[in-house]
Amino acid sequence: MNRTLVNSLGSIKREVVIFSRSQKFYLILAAMAIVMTLPLFLSNYVVSEVLTPMIIFAIYASSWNLLASSGQGSLGHAAFLGIGGFVSALIAIKLGIPPIIGLFLGSLLSAAIGFLIGLTCVRLKAWFLAMVTFGFSVIIVTIFSEFDDFTGAVMGFPTPPIVDRGLPFYYLSFAFAVISISIMYLVMKSKIGLAFKAIHQNELEAKMIGINTAKYRLIAFIISTFFAGLAGGLFAQSIRYIHVSVFAPYYSFLPLMMAVIGGLGTIEGPIIGSAIIVTIDSYLPRIDDALHGLMGSLFPAVSNVGPPLRMLGLGLFLLVVVIFAPRGVTPLIKKAYNYLRSSAKEETS
Amino acid sequence: MISTELIQALLWGVANGCIYILLATGLNIIFGVMKLVNFAHGQLLMIGAYIAFTAATVLGLNAYLAILVAMGIVALIGVGVERFTFSRVLGTDKLNEIFVSLGLIYVFENAAVLLWGNTSQQIVSPLQGIQLSLGQIAIGYDRLLAVSIVIIILIALFLLLKKTKIGLAMRATSQKSGASMLMGINIERVYIFTFALGAALAGAAGALYGIIFPFNPTIGALPTIKAFAIIILGGLGSIPGAVIGGLLYGIAENTAVYFLGGIWQDAIAFALLIIVLVIKPTGIFGEKGE
Repeated sequence: MNRTLVNSLGSIKREVVIFSRSQKFYLILAAMAIVMTLPLFLSNYVVSEVLTPMIIFAIYASSWNLLASSGQGSLGHAAFLGIGGFVSALIAIKLGIPPIIGLFLGSLLSAAIGFLIGLTCVRLKAWFLAMVTFGFSVIIVTIFSEFDDFTGAVMGFPTPPIVDRGLPFYYLSFAFAVISISIMYLVMKSKIGLAFKAIHQNELEAKMIGINTAKYRLIAFIISTFFAGLAGGLFAQSIRYIHVSVFAPYYSFLPLMMAVIGGLGTIEGPIIGSAIIVTIDSYLPRIDDALHGLMGSLFPAVSNVGPPLRMLGLGLFLLVVVIFAPRGVTPLIKKAYNYLRSSAKEETS
Repeated sequence: MISTELIQALLWGVANGCIYILLATGLNIIFGVMKLVNFAHGQLLMIGAYIAFTAATVLGLNAYLAILVAMGIVALIGVGVERFTFSRVLGTDKLNEIFVSLGLIYVFENAAVLLWGNTSQQIVSPLQGIQLSLGQIAIGYDRLLAVSIVIIILIALFLLLKKTKIGLAMRATSQKSGASMLMGINIERVYIFTFALGAALAGAAGALYGIIFPFNPTIGALPTIKAFAIIILGGLGSIPGAVIGGLLYGIAENTAVYFLGGIWQDAIAFALLIIVLVIKPTGIFGEKGE
């Protein structure tokens, strides 16, 4: 264990040195500068209802993506989102400690429970694992509702604020996102990440070359659920309220959609996927009325055709991406960018 | 007094278990032949319930004849699903099958909302509300008929697998798909047939579900998980195992509700699933590691 740690720390150091000299590094710096300054020119509503969720779900989708990079597709990540959200808020309220410490304790507890679920899951094949994680997210709803006296989950309760909503909270989540995603990036680039990839491609072969697959799969579980819990704590902060609906399958499937649509196994994929999905979720409801006017007469059974049509579209989008662009939309964006650059070069020369 | 209630719970458990046996058998056949897990199987059940409902109300068919309509149409949907989605990701990363299933869940659930609305429905059966009572124990004729229909379907399925050419081809493909291809079996066609068969079983399960319980577009998820729990109890790819697992599961669920209360009805499926998987990752009767 110790030697793996030293080895991976060494490889991380090497990776950082190479990375800081690459072109990508400057691209990321520029992107970060834009993300930092952009909200200054936007309304408070857009910052707290669109940009902040985008950042929080980028952490959440990245945590899911890290787990999936080891071949483990969870269908119940909402359990950890919810545990992070509830525990961070409950600890802060019941013990009277600062909510920012509650945030860490919530993430730690989420990782601890992730460790226990991981123990069950590391021996399972992809589909059993998907079912067990999904099942866990349903059991946890029952548990939280059953012990409502303590959790207050059924009615929900307001969460104690760390900082004000709007710009301050935006920058706080941004700082958390930069730290969390950097850590996940380093893990995925290190020897641990290499082991994840080997396990994902062929578990038996990974075992044969001496990788302790159970150990690495468990590591993936712990790291992933820690950051899912952190995202949950931030999520509860961002809407200032926590309720048992956070465990809904919708929140389990969301990070999967984001990571797959953005590009599975890459670091930028979940971030781009989060930006796409949150934008769709925030802006498409505005065309619901128009949709209903256009299509309403076709489907007399529903009072508002907007939401089901959007969800249907999202499902089709996921199918199309998985079947026709299994590496997500990120390579397409890169291709378009390269094409534009090369055609711009041709024009100038 | 307690014992009659317990027997009642057991009887209902058997009847409920039967519906899940059909669903689990469909999943199992698809898995056995194609090595594919369709997480959207419960959504096919939901679509089957709605098609039977439409056939019964719009066309005025007898609820039990509507089962055949549901089986046929859901089988056709299954052919489309196999051709346009699963056949394209078969043999690639296992996670892709999960992603495709998830996309299908979204498509089916929301298509059902658009076509049939959000409200709860139930298929009206001519036997509705009529009960067979033996002393203090009572069971609806609908449930008894459902059990016998499931038995008939399972016998027909057994004959199909053991006595027909396509059944032989399916069994050969499930053992060694490459060798079967070399022996002149059209694997693609076997896959289409298998998926359609699995879908038809889900359609029949859906029609029976719709006769016994009220349903809405979101009911699909839980039956999928229950079918999974059954498969894990009975062993992956084994049809007799699915029957035993289904009966065990139905009884376990209903006795758990009896002893613990209704809130635990859904959680019990997962608790069972997780406990069995912790003890034996390949299922109780499962021998293959795949």
